[in-house]
Amino acid sequence: MSIREKFEITKKYSLLSYVLMTIGVLSVLLLYINYGSSEDEHDRSRFWASLLQNSVFFLLVVNAAMFFICTTILAWGGWATSFRRIPEAISSAVPVIGIICGAILLAIVFGGDHAIYHWTDTEHVKHDPILLHKSGFLNKTFFTVWTVLTIFLWWVLGKKIRSLSHSTDIGPMGVEVGKKFIWKNTIWAALFMIVFSLTVMSTIPWLWLMSIDAHWYSTMYSWYTFASTFVSGMALIALYVVYLKNKGYLEYTNQEHLHDLGKFMFGFSVFWTYLWFSQYMLIWYSNQPEETIYFQPRVNGVYKIVFFFSLIINFLGPLLLLMKRDAKRNYMTITLLAVLIIFGHWLDFFQMVHPGPSRDHVPMILYDLGIAAGFVGLIMFLTGRTLSKHALVPKYHPFFKESVIHHT
Amino acid sequence: MSLLRYESQVRPPLVKGNKEYHQVTEDICRPVESKPSRAWWIGFSISLAFLLFGVVSVTMEVIYGVGQWNLNKTIGWGWDITNFVWWIGIGHAGTLISAILLLFRQGWRTGVNRAAEAMTIFAVMCAGQFPIFHMGRVWDIFFSLPYPNTRGPLWVNFNSPLLWDVFAISTYFTVSLLFWYSGLLPDLASLRDRAKKKWRKLFYGITAFGWTGSTKHWQRHESLSLVLAGLSTPLVLSVHTIVSFDFATSVIPGWHTTIFPPYFVAGAIFSGFAMVQTLLVITRKVLGLEQYITIEHIEVMNKVIILTGSIVGIAYLTELFMSWYGANQYESFAFMENRLNLNSPYGWSYWIMMGCNVLSPQIFWSSKMRRNITITFFMSILVNIGMWFERFVIIVTSVYRDYLPSSWSTYYTPSIWEIGFYLGTFGLFFTCYFLFTKYFPVVALAEIKHILKRSGDGYKNKMNEIEKQGSDDFVKEHSHDHGA
Repeated sequence: MSIREKFEITKKYSLLSYVLMTIGVLSVLLLYINYGSSEDEHDRSRFWASLLQNSVFFLLVVNAAMFFICTTILAWGGWATSFRRIPEAISSAVPVIGIICGAILLAIVFGGDHAIYHWTDTEHVKHDPILLHKSGFLNKTFFTVWTVLTIFLWWVLGKKIRSLSHSTDIGPMGVEVGKKFIWKNTIWAALFMIVFSLTVMSTIPWLWLMSIDAHWYSTMYSWYTFASTFVSGMALIALYVVYLKNKGYLEYTNQEHLHDLGKFMFGFSVFWTYLWFSQYMLIWYSNQPEETIYFQPRVNGVYKIVFFFSLIINFLGPLLLLMKRDAKRNYMTITLLAVLIIFGHWLDFFQMVHPGPSRDHVPMILYDLGIAAGFVGLIMFLTGRTLSKHALVPKYHPFFKESVIHHT
Repeated sequence: MSLLRYESQVRPPLVKGNKEYHQVTEDICRPVESKPSRAWWIGFSISLAFLLFGVVSVTMEVIYGVGQWNLNKTIGWGWDITNFVWWIGIGHAGTLISAILLLFRQGWRTGVNRAAEAMTIFAVMCAGQFPIFHMGRVWDIFFSLPYPNTRGPLWVNFNSPLLWDVFAISTYFTVSLLFWYSGLLPDLASLRDRAKKKWRKLFYGITAFGWTGSTKHWQRHESLSLVLAGLSTPLVLSVHTIVSFDFATSVIPGWHTTIFPPYFVAGAIFSGFAMVQTLLVITRKVLGLEQYITIEHIEVMNKVIILTGSIVGIAYLTELFMSWYGANQYESFAFMENRLNLNSPYGWSYWIMMGCNVLSPQIFWSSKMRRNITITFFMSILVNIGMWFERFVIIVTSVYRDYLPSSWSTYYTPSIWEIGFYLGTFGLFFTCYFLFTKYFPVVALAEIKHILKRSGDGYKNKMNEIEKQGSDDFVKEHSHDHGA
């Protein structure tokens, strides 16, 4: 059995990615014509909120793939080596989606409308004591600097870690060289992790998402966002594993690896629910108006269905369907659940973003789904391109042999 | 020959000294089968003395009431609840190591799981004392159990996290005990089979539950471990989550914050690992188990310490940031004035907490530090101190200045009986631990044997040839079909 070196993009694959991207672009255009170009600020915000939700969600998801690689490096995990080119390829979408997301965020901040980020309205802030108090953090300069810096650092560090991985393709390395290689990886992964904890695990969700409800706050918010995007990232990786296996690639990735990916999807779905519950329950229990206000439109208002539906998809779905060992080793259930998880968390982001600018009615979700399709196409395009450039199996990686003999 | 496991030579071996199965048994059973050393007797006596002091302190409290402690109306929770949360936190590492690391297939857990699990049980025992005796009228303890009773409408308050604690902790204790004991069975049987004296045969014979080591026994043993691991994993999270609810469900500034549950769990694992380090650094030296609890084990645990310490650090900073960002003057006062301000009455305790839990573990970025036994020991003590102060800061600095300045408390210092109670739990903990090291194998004998032919250094040396093989040849020779 010889190793099939590289992924060849099939016509079907690239056609699908182009079709999805076209749907995305058309949805953006349609949404712009119907809402974005409107005279009414409220209508315009509907357009931008949709772009915000989609770009931030998908950026955090593709970046979660790099987080997965870095945790694996730091924990000396060997099992994922046989398919680690997949999360690497997914994370290579960070620069492009990062630029798109950054551009959208800055357009919202500097666009002159304030329906999404109230705190950008400097006149209003002057008379709003709470926003005035927060203006040390919620201001355009800091937002811009931190956003640009964050996306830049994810990009650069991700690129470095990918290039380290590709450097193994040259030829076998001995034990001593292997140790040095692991050491080098550790340093860069640790750097990424520090940046990750100062951005995704703390400041970035506050700035990009929580500040939509600028008066409200919750210390859990960022960890919650992280759990949401990390489990989606794992689902995306599993989807690619299944796809490539079906196409006859990844000879050394088998049910054992899929089983472990399934465990991640299961475990972190439960973890997400744990954070969901902790945040919701503590706010509900203490019942302070300044905190419960956030859940008013979501639990008692028009977003009720979206809110509880996403809880069902993201918790009950994985809990009931992924509990069994056989389910985690089955291509069909893993594919189904992966799609469900990504959709469920996308929907969760929908209810995190839209009630801010559109409190009294739920926007027509078809537009948003269309834009999401565009991002999916873009991720497919970028991931496929990177997959086809490098060897699919890092067969000289020091942990490669462990990964071949992996038992879950 | 197809392999069932393969471990890269890049990984350091987990069992040193080129051991064979028999040698492993000899090494690990020796402390149990030989007479305790002088050091053991000295340590045991000191622990017993502390325990007795604890008994006296508690007796004083039971006879004369909670007034023997220096709690007051404003500071209704002081050392007692601080100590409770501190011990419960320490009790988390054992089950994390035995359950979560089992699920994650971490080979290094085998060197440390037995001692950590034992430690968990003793720590939870110590923790339980505090809420029980804090009740004052301890003879009414059964009031905390919900059962159809003759007290009319007097039921427990199901809405209270304090009651959830009763359930969570008792469940956790039961499952941890089962986990620990079921893991012990094969080892107890080994001790029974090796026993020469009659009473030893009897004692280990009864405790081994008739274990014969048949395939059937092993099969059931392994499935039981997995089931218990699956049960314990949510339990580890739930216990400290519910402890955090004791505070976070309230509206007290400094207590009510949504990040509490996961951050308490991370902190618990952090302090638990620190206590494991404290114990094992000494145990491995005294019992001569350095080849089983190797420097690699110490290093990995230090990595867990820096990881959880940093998670806790992010949570501290998040809380601090939100106390400003939230623009709530009471919340902000609790943090900025009562904690952050070094010149406020308890400001020092906040900075001890920050220094011990967030700043000092950062030295473990350096692998030299992680592999230094002295530093490790010192750091483990520091972390234990820091984590005690974390609970002290959360409890006392949040309540001592409440909404009504006229009831702001004077400086709270514990009475001799409060201190005695705390020291007494140390006595209980170490008395149990000393007995454990004498009568039970400190390292999981059977589990070390599981990893010997994968991670033992003698075995790894034999694998050098395979490591040198090219990837394609390796796959051809050693992999086997798993199904697509």
